[in-house]
Amino acid sequence: MSGMSCEVDTAVKLRTMAALGGQALRSLRKTPALTSIMVVMACMAAVSIFAVFAVNLTAIGRQLQSQVQIRVFLDQNTVPDDKEALGNSIRALPGVIKVEYVSQDEALDRLKLQMGESGFFLNDLERNPLPDSFNVSLARAEDARAVAAGIWKLTGVSDVIYGQKWVDNLVGALRVLWGLTGIVACLALVGASLIVSNTIRLSVFARRKEIEIMKLVGATDGFILFPFVMEGLVIGIAGSAAATALVAAGYLGLVTWVKSVASFIPIIRDPIHMRFAVIGTVAFGAIAGLAGSAVSVRRYLKV
Amino acid sequence: MVKMYGVTRVYAGGAQALRGVNLSIDKGEFVFVVGPSGAGKSTLLSMIYRGTVPTNGQVWVAGRNVVRLRWREVPLLRRRIGIVFQDFKLLPDRSVYDNVAFALEVIEASPREIAKRVPLALDMVGLSHKAQAMPDELAGGEQQRVAIARAIVNDPFIVIADEPTGNLDPDTSMDIMNLLCDINMRGTTVIMATHNQLVVDRLRRRVVQLDEGIVVRDELRGGYCGEA
Repeated sequence: MSGMSCEVDTAVKLRTMAALGGQALRSLRKTPALTSIMVVMACMAAVSIFAVFAVNLTAIGRQLQSQVQIRVFLDQNTVPDDKEALGNSIRALPGVIKVEYVSQDEALDRLKLQMGESGFFLNDLERNPLPDSFNVSLARAEDARAVAAGIWKLTGVSDVIYGQKWVDNLVGALRVLWGLTGIVACLALVGASLIVSNTIRLSVFARRKEIEIMKLVGATDGFILFPFVMEGLVIGIAGSAAATALVAAGYLGLVTWVKSVASFIPIIRDPIHMRFAVIGTVAFGAIAGLAGSAVSVRRYLKV
Repeated sequence: MVKMYGVTRVYAGGAQALRGVNLSIDKGEFVFVVGPSGAGKSTLLSMIYRGTVPTNGQVWVAGRNVVRLRWREVPLLRRRIGIVFQDFKLLPDRSVYDNVAFALEVIEASPREIAKRVPLALDMVGLSHKAQAMPDELAGGEQQRVAIARAIVNDPFIVIADEPTGNLDPDTSMDIMNLLCDINMRGTTVIMATHNQLVVDRLRRRVVQLDEGIVVRDELRGGYCGEA
């Protein structure tokens, strides 16, 4: 029994892998693989739709966040040197990307422009009531609260305003949406894995005689498992690719419609931005396929 | 070649298939394992290729304790043992040639090796002319010959046959026995469980008789029923 001392090489040769791959594809025709692919497709379509929704809302959120500004009103009696120093101090705060000084005259002009004809009374004012101010732009809306608190500590500041509640709501809503996407993705993963697992179980059952003979003539576990794992992988990838194609087609239709009917809606139009959703969905399908076949093979093959 | 020391096998539910079996089989021997149904014959044979592990005791095959083999080593053991069953265990959707080649394919033999060995094995069992036939086109004896060809194609040092003539008529049974004797003549150890009194009595080889899991007789040139 020479050679018994060394273990069987569990790595499957490339030539064998190709043959076993073919076997997996043949097996797909014998088992209700098409049904499984459809169910995996439905699960992955749900994930895709949520992912597309989340990617779009995140993009919208980013756009809105970039517009979040803090307005800092100065004491009336602040001297120009102090104003400059204050501007520099604000600029030095972490998260601040731009600080714009708005004098009280400029502020009045902007107000007049904003109010148009209804701001006629502004021309009759004896004295400009508006204070000098800074418009502070932030890198991320989440930093607004911390930056505002930092500005309050500086001397020469009379008031700091920003849409605190609105910013907090936006950040919270995006978190909830991504959380929801995560939950749907997990449920879809479990659902798709179960259906793949069931299909592989049928496949194992259909080939149980062959498997028994394989074991008796000395096939390694890897050799026996490979076609089933491949089968699961093919079902997972085929289902998720079909889901991606379906959702992508629907989304492109939606983009065209939005463009013509409601072009003000900031929907992502460039498909390249959706690549993460596409890659993610297919990868998810592959994971579901692998997990499903692994569970089934472990439970029912017992090799 | 095969040694068993105090081998006991208790199945779930408490049924004892083997009870303290001690056995030693040398290289090149031809051994019949006889006994009534449920005596433990199949369990004893499956211990050799590690289809079953003993509850107690040790089984040594070719100098290795198969009870202690790691799971990854088991396929290598089985590649050196040819196994033949009563129900042939052929794949119905593969030709005779492919059924025999299957044993080499699953151990990842090269196509050249397969093309060389399969015709030799089919020639040995006298089925070269039916290489492309499907199993259901063959008679029972021919199907068993295919199973034997599959068992020997990998040049094993032991052939284990579990009731290989159980489904065959007396004439066909003797053909199969002649084939197994030819294989044995080439130096391969043959261990065969059987109920077939005719072949045991005619061939007069070593007989190990089991009864309720115990070796009750181990006779060098015995008959089916012993020296009564």
